[in-house]
Amino acid sequence: MNSKSMVAILGVTYGVIGILPLFLGDSSILMRILTMILIWSVVASCWDLIMGYAGIFSFGQVAFYVVGAYASAILSVSFNLPPIVTIFMAGAITAVVGVIIGLPCLKLAGPYIALVTFAFQLALEPFLKGPMGKAIGSGGSRGIISVPPIHFFGMDFSSGELVPFFYLALALTLICSAAIVVILKSHWGTAFLALKDSEDFAASLGVSAFKYKLLVFGITSFITGLFGALYVHYVGILSTRMLSMEVFTVLLIMIVVGGIGQYPGVVLGAVVTVTANELLRPMGIYRLLIMGGLVVVIVLLLPDGVTGLIRKFSGFRLTKKEQGFIE
Amino acid sequence: MFIEIIEVIISGLLNGSVYALMAIGLALVYGVTKAFNFAYGSFYTMGGYFAWTLLVSLGIKGGYYTVFLTAIPFLFFVGYFLEKILISPLRKRSDWQMKAMMLTLGLSLFLDIGYIAAFGPRLKSLPDIVEGTLDIGPFAFMNQDVVIFILSISGLLCFAWMLNNTRVGMAVQAVAQNPVGAQIVGIPKDRVFAATFAISTIMVGIGGILLSQKNFVNPQASTGIMIKAWVITAFGGMGSIRGSLYAALIIGMLEAFVGYYLGMIHIEVAVLTLLLITLAFRPQGLMGRE
Repeated sequence: MNSKSMVAILGVTYGVIGILPLFLGDSSILMRILTMILIWSVVASCWDLIMGYAGIFSFGQVAFYVVGAYASAILSVSFNLPPIVTIFMAGAITAVVGVIIGLPCLKLAGPYIALVTFAFQLALEPFLKGPMGKAIGSGGSRGIISVPPIHFFGMDFSSGELVPFFYLALALTLICSAAIVVILKSHWGTAFLALKDSEDFAASLGVSAFKYKLLVFGITSFITGLFGALYVHYVGILSTRMLSMEVFTVLLIMIVVGGIGQYPGVVLGAVVTVTANELLRPMGIYRLLIMGGLVVVIVLLLPDGVTGLIRKFSGFRLTKKEQGFIE
Repeated sequence: MFIEIIEVIISGLLNGSVYALMAIGLALVYGVTKAFNFAYGSFYTMGGYFAWTLLVSLGIKGGYYTVFLTAIPFLFFVGYFLEKILISPLRKRSDWQMKAMMLTLGLSLFLDIGYIAAFGPRLKSLPDIVEGTLDIGPFAFMNQDVVIFILSISGLLCFAWMLNNTRVGMAVQAVAQNPVGAQIVGIPKDRVFAATFAISTIMVGIGGILLSQKNFVNPQASTGIMIKAWVITAFGGMGSIRGSLYAALIIGMLEAFVGYYLGMIHIEVAVLTLLLITLAFRPQGLMGRE
C-alpha cells in the first residue's frame, strides 16, 4: 500500500472517530468504547509493525503494555511525579525492557522468539505479585488502586472527564500513527521488510540485522509502553489481570481481522474487534467462544483480513513491487 | 538421604516419561509439517474429557480398556480432519507459518471455552486406573504412577517402532527430510501431513487421559500443558524427536529436584532459566539442526 492510501485510510478512520464525540459525547458507554479503540489500535499497530513487517514473532506485546502501565503507575504513586511526565518515562523504560528482551531474540528462529517473548509475559505475573514486585511498589496481587489522572493546563484527563481524555488519546494516537507511517515508508521500513524476506541477503547488502531488529523492538515497545501508561491513568486502577490470555487473544484478533503486515488494516481491525467485543459482552462465556471461532474462520477465508476485502472491492491496488513484498 | 535421592529421581522419571510422550508429539508435528500447533494443549484436555464422558457420564463397560481402544481412533480422526480442513488450505501462501500459529491460537481459545460451555467450569475427577501401592524394599510406589510410567514408555516405544519400521513411519521421515523429494518418489505429502498431525493428537490426548486421572480434568489446564510441551521441544531442539526425549527427561528431573529441595514455586523459574541459558549458547536447542 502506498503512503497516500495509508494516510487516506488512517485519516478517514481517525477523522470519523474524532468527530463522533460531538454527537455521542453524552453516552459514557460509547465514549469508553471509542477511547479503547484508539488505545488498542496503536498497540495492535505496533504488534503489526514488529510481526507483520519486521517478521519477528514477538508475543510480548501485552507484557510491554503492562510494563508501561506499571512503570507509570509506580512512578506517579510512589515518587509523586506528575503523570504527564511519567507516561513518557514509562515509554522509555518499556523501550529499554524491549531492547533487553530483543537481545536474546537476535540469534533465535521463529517459534523460539515467540517462546522467549511469551515466557517474559509468563514471568511478569509472578514477578509483580511476588516480593520483588512489592519492593518496587507494584502492590502485589492487590495491584495499585489509586493512580492519579493526567493533569495539565489546569485540566484533569481521566475516566471522569471522558471527552477531554478522548481528545488527548486521539492526539497521541495521531502522532504515533504518523510516526509509524513515516517509519514504514523510510529506509527503516524497507530494511525491516528486507530482513523479514531474507536475512542473509539483506546482510550482504549492508543492512545490519543487529541494529534494525533492536530498533524495531525499541520503537514498538516505546509506543506500547506509552499507551499502557496512558491507559492506567485513564482507568486509575491496575492489577496483573491485564496479563491474561484473553487480552492477548483479543489483541491477536485485531491483527487477524485487519490483516497481518497490511498497515493500516490493523486499525480497522481494532475498530471492528473492540466494537464486537463490547457488543458480545452480554453473551457471557460465549463471547470468547465466538471470538476464537472468528479467528479460525477469518484466517481461513480472509487471509488478508479486512484490508484484503477492501482491496478486492476498491481501487486500492498494489503495485508490482509491493505485491512482491507480501506474496 | 540416599533413599530420598532415589525417590526424587524416580518421581523425575515419572514426570519425564509423560512429558516425553507429549513433547515428542509437538516436536513431530513441527519437524514434519513445519506448522506450530498452539491448540496442542487443548487436545490434552480433550483426552481428559473424552475419558470422563465415557467413564463417568455414560458409564461404559470395560473401564480404561474401552477408553484407550476408542480414544485412539477418535483422536486420530479429530487430528486428521482438523489438519485437512484448517491447516492444509493455508499451505499455499508463503507466510502460512504465521497464519497457522494464529489459527491454532484461535482454535485453542475456541476449544477451551467450548469445554467450559459444554461441561461447565468445574473440575471433573476420573476414577483411578488402578489402586493400591507397590512396595519394593524401602520404596513405595503408587500403582497408578507405575501404570502411567509403563503406558507412556510403551507408547513411546510403539511410536519409535512405527516410525522406523512401517511404511507410514518411513513416509513421515521422508517428508520431514525433504518434502519435494518425497513427493517425487510418490509419497502423498498432504496425507502424511494430516497423518502426522493426527498421530501427535493421539500422543497428547493419551497423555491427557493418563494425567487427568491423577490430576482432575481441568478446562484451564491447556495453556500450562501447551507451554510445558513448548518449552521442552524448544529446549531439545524444535523438530528433533531424540532431543525432545532427552529434554523431557532432563526437565522432569530438574522439576523433581527443584521441587524437593527448593520448593514447588521455584520450578517455573528454574525451567525458564535453564531454557534461556541453553538458547543463549545453542540457539537451535540441544539437538536441533540449524
